[in-house]
Amino acid sequence: MGREVSESCIDNLLTEMVSTYCNRFYANKPELAARRIEAIGYQVGHQLSERYTMERPRFSDHLEAIKFICKDFWFELFKKQIDNLKTNHRGTFVLQDNRFRWLTNMSIEQPPENGTSEELSIVADNKALQSMHLYFPCGIIRGALSNLGIPCAVSADISNLPACSFVVRIKA
Amino acid sequence: MIVCVAVVGHQNNPLYIQSFTDADDALKLHHIVHCSLDVVDERVNNPKKSGPTLNDTFLGLLYPTENYKVYGYLTNTKVKFILVTTDLDVRDADVRNEVPCCIC
Repeated sequence: MGREVSESCIDNLLTEMVSTYCNRFYANKPELAARRIEAIGYQVGHQLSERYTMERPRFSDHLEAIKFICKDFWFELFKKQIDNLKTNHRGTFVLQDNRFRWLTNMSIEQPPENGTSEELSIVADNKALQSMHLYFPCGIIRGALSNLGIPCAVSADISNLPACSFVVRIKA
Repeated sequence: MIVCVAVVGHQNNPLYIQSFTDADDALKLHHIVHCSLDVVDERVNNPKKSGPTLNDTFLGLLYPTENYKVYGYLTNTKVKFILVTTDLDVRDADVRNEVPCCIC
């Protein structure tokens, strides 16, 4: 419906957003930058879920809403569905995307086996920077679920790029 | 003829109310909208009584008053659209088709 935006613009915008918040606005406060980015994602997710659930019948339970996020919502955002959904049936869901679109251009760095402590700390720093890029999609998921009436906490895990797992914990 | 349209947020906070009649009727219409919110909650919380329309967004005729009919529509994000109409001949199906047009 309506206007279109080029995908590379979105990619660049997101990269620049993370970089600006981490390096300029909250230069030495990564927690604040992370929280701010997550809040932006929350707003985006909130509004997108309103738009994408317009025509659908209502959800009967939490699982239906999560399935909506995995299928329709993810398809609208990334042109693909979530590859794997796991749950412990007690309020925790793991959404796994084997090729997360916004991370495809990120380099995969193998930590050197006999590396010096300096090299290892550089690798650790890079990991921290990479995880900054995940706060935005976590916020989107959290915003979408909150708008559907499901308060939750979302965290992400990138142990093997470009696959990415989002862990959703529903607050009782 | 539709006399009042209301959009109510998920905490029952009014987002938009517009009445299309003379000014002195407006308060009465607001009151009718307010009462219909209770009916919406009732329909949503009583799955057995609402029957096959449990997950439908369109709630149908909420309640008829002396001159008006009140229709309700509930989105997935718990935003309620309330429509008050004086047209006594209108059928459910017509209203059901009109509401999605209003949303877009």
